[in-house]
Amino acid sequence: MIRIKDLVKTFDDSTVLDGVTLDVNAGEIVTVLGASGSGKSTLIRCINGLERPSGGTITVDGNDVTTKAGLAASRRISATVFQLFNLYPHMTALGNITLAPVEVLGKSKAEAEEQARALLAKVGLAGHADKYPQQLSGGQRQRVGICRALAMQPRYILLDEVTSALDPETTGEVLDILQKLATEATTMVFVTHEVAFARSISTRIVFMEAGKLLVDMPTEEFFAENGGLAVPRIRQFLSQIRKD
Amino acid sequence: MRFADFTPFDLVLLAQGLGVSLALFLTTTVAGLLLGLGFAVVHHFRFPFVNPLIVAVTEALKNSPVLVQLFLVFFGIPALMQIRMTPASAAFITLSLNTAAFAFVIIRAGIESIDRDQIDAAEAFGLRRIQILRRVIGPQALAFSIGPIVGILVNQLQVTSLISVIGVFDLTKIGNILNLRTLEPFIVWAVIGSIYYVCAKILAHSGARLERRIRRSYAWGEV
Amino acid sequence: MRVWRVIEPYIGFLLQGFALTIFACLLAIIGAVILGGIVASMRASQRSALRWVAHAYSDIFRNVPFLVQLFFLFYGLPELGIYIGAFETGVIALSLAGGAFVSDVILSGIRSIDRGVIEAARVSGLNDVKVFLRIVLPIALRVSVRPVGSVLINLVLTSSILSTITVNELTGVAKIVAAETFKPFEVYAVLLVLYASFTTALSLAIVAWHRRLNRFMTGA
Ligand SMILES: Nc1ncnc2c1ncn2[C@@H]1O[C@H](COP(=O)(O)OP(=O)(O)OP(=O)(O)O)[C@@H](O)[C@H]1O
Ligand SMILES: [Mg+2]
Repeated sequence: MIRIKDLVKTFDDSTVLDGVTLDVNAGEIVTVLGASGSGKSTLIRCINGLERPSGGTITVDGNDVTTKAGLAASRRISATVFQLFNLYPHMTALGNITLAPVEVLGKSKAEAEEQARALLAKVGLAGHADKYPQQLSGGQRQRVGICRALAMQPRYILLDEVTSALDPETTGEVLDILQKLATEATTMVFVTHEVAFARSISTRIVFMEAGKLLVDMPTEEFFAENGGLAVPRIRQFLSQIRKD
Repeated sequence: MRFADFTPFDLVLLAQGLGVSLALFLTTTVAGLLLGLGFAVVHHFRFPFVNPLIVAVTEALKNSPVLVQLFLVFFGIPALMQIRMTPASAAFITLSLNTAAFAFVIIRAGIESIDRDQIDAAEAFGLRRIQILRRVIGPQALAFSIGPIVGILVNQLQVTSLISVIGVFDLTKIGNILNLRTLEPFIVWAVIGSIYYVCAKILAHSGARLERRIRRSYAWGEV
Repeated sequence: MRVWRVIEPYIGFLLQGFALTIFACLLAIIGAVILGGIVASMRASQRSALRWVAHAYSDIFRNVPFLVQLFFLFYGLPELGIYIGAFETGVIALSLAGGAFVSDVILSGIRSIDRGVIEAARVSGLNDVKVFLRIVLPIALRVSVRPVGSVLINLVLTSSILSTITVNELTGVAKIVAAETFKPFEVYAVLLVLYASFTTALSLAIVAWHRRLNRFMTGA
């Protein structure tokens, strides 16, 4: 499981994460909601080690991500999907997907490629293995990004607004794939503004406000009149989202 | 004390060499920039047959070694035309043409970077083409070109060292003399190199300041 | 044709010189790219001492005339007990000077890389060395093809200076031919045209290669 305890992150003098405590158990799908600037991305970036916590602890299956060895171990069992895809521009879709399995997990090239092709087929990109990111549409790129994450056979997948750079139509393509994933018992931490989708796939929802977790509830409770909706800030947030 | 040791007089030699290098650099810079500007203006007015000629000559100059150009002027032209040519005049001709070739390309790009609309507008106001060139295109092309021109000048300063090969007593030639006499190559070439380095830095620095000044004055003028 | 009559008996000799020029430039560009890559990595590193050394090197070698660098090595190396031929000295000098410019080019290639791409590679578990070798350097080299090509072209032009330390590359043999024929104008005019056509052809080839390598990378 991912255990986050009293996590603090400051940039210069601004405190972006202010004592976040959160456990994500195997099999859970936790959606992180919150206004822009509330610290959602920073939370994800602390978990995957792109930012160094200023205080508190994070462990992934017991591996302390603030140590070099712990971070390396935790990165072998978790993967991240990015808002802007961040595909390697000089590699084909296949190259993007097989790099880490070969270099990090030590798989043979042939094995990694076979697995990559299977993944691509699964997300409807069977014929695109040899294309470069630049030759793919946004939705296709993000599907490659998801395959790249899945190729590590991770126990945990971190997703940070993976559809917000896409138009509504392609957003659908990507969400469909995530929906499928959700049923396959992968553990996910999911930052999104797609509230309806979050409601349909997540087991738990946490709401961030100014670097703190305002609420942490099972999905049903979050959307219940006497649960999350009883919190004025959340009611306001949800009604704003609906208006957009 | 060995006969070949450094003497205080060597400082005078170095100063003389530096003076020759700088004098050639400055005169060829002025001549080269004027000539390059002339090429660019002529090119702008699109006289028949002249443009391809200018482009061919400047491309040949930019794409061939300066040393070969120097040999062509210093050894080749006197042999061909039965005239006398001093090392200094060969150096002056070659370096000026060379600077002109680079300046032409930069200034031309500066002129061409200016919006066609602005020129049309100026024409609509009844300005003659020469006026447009001076009042509208000139200042903007200058602001655009000044940075790259400083860049090529820093390079041209280093290129002046080649004139030592045809016997001009510039800083590098003095280095050769001291090197042969003292047999202290490390000291001699380190000193010579440092002098060039300092000159290059001063040039780049003042060029950057000039560029800022020019850009600022135009930014202000536009408001 | 008059020029042809002057040159014709020496064609083989001139071609030998041309071959030596190409050989020297080939070795030097390999040296310059390797050196430039290493120096650029140093300049991009976290350690300030490495950064400082690397920056000092490229600053000095870009601001001192090549001829002075060449003499420094040519007369200086024997003082250190290093006796190598003029050709080898020339190749080393060209590599050192070229490396300073290449490091600049590759460094700006490195700096232009999207941070997110590097983060993706790090998050996937690649260690720093692998991130650099598999992601950063290949991308930087791809976007650097064209500017490295200009360095190469400058290298070809600069290589004519090796004639001053008795290397018989193209300019060196031309000097001999000019002296033997008493027709310096014809010889140097031909030489100028040769260099110009060679470097022009080279720059066209580089542009084409750049297009090919980056055909899928525009804007990425
Ligand atoms: N590297 C950084 N340096 C300084 N401040 C930063 C840095 N990264 C993030 N911040 C600040 O931290 C705060 C939280 O940023 P974060 O990206 O985590 O928000 P977010 O909840 O993901 O917002 P969004 O919904 O817009 O993506 C913001 O105020 C941001 O300006
Ligand atoms: Mg964010």
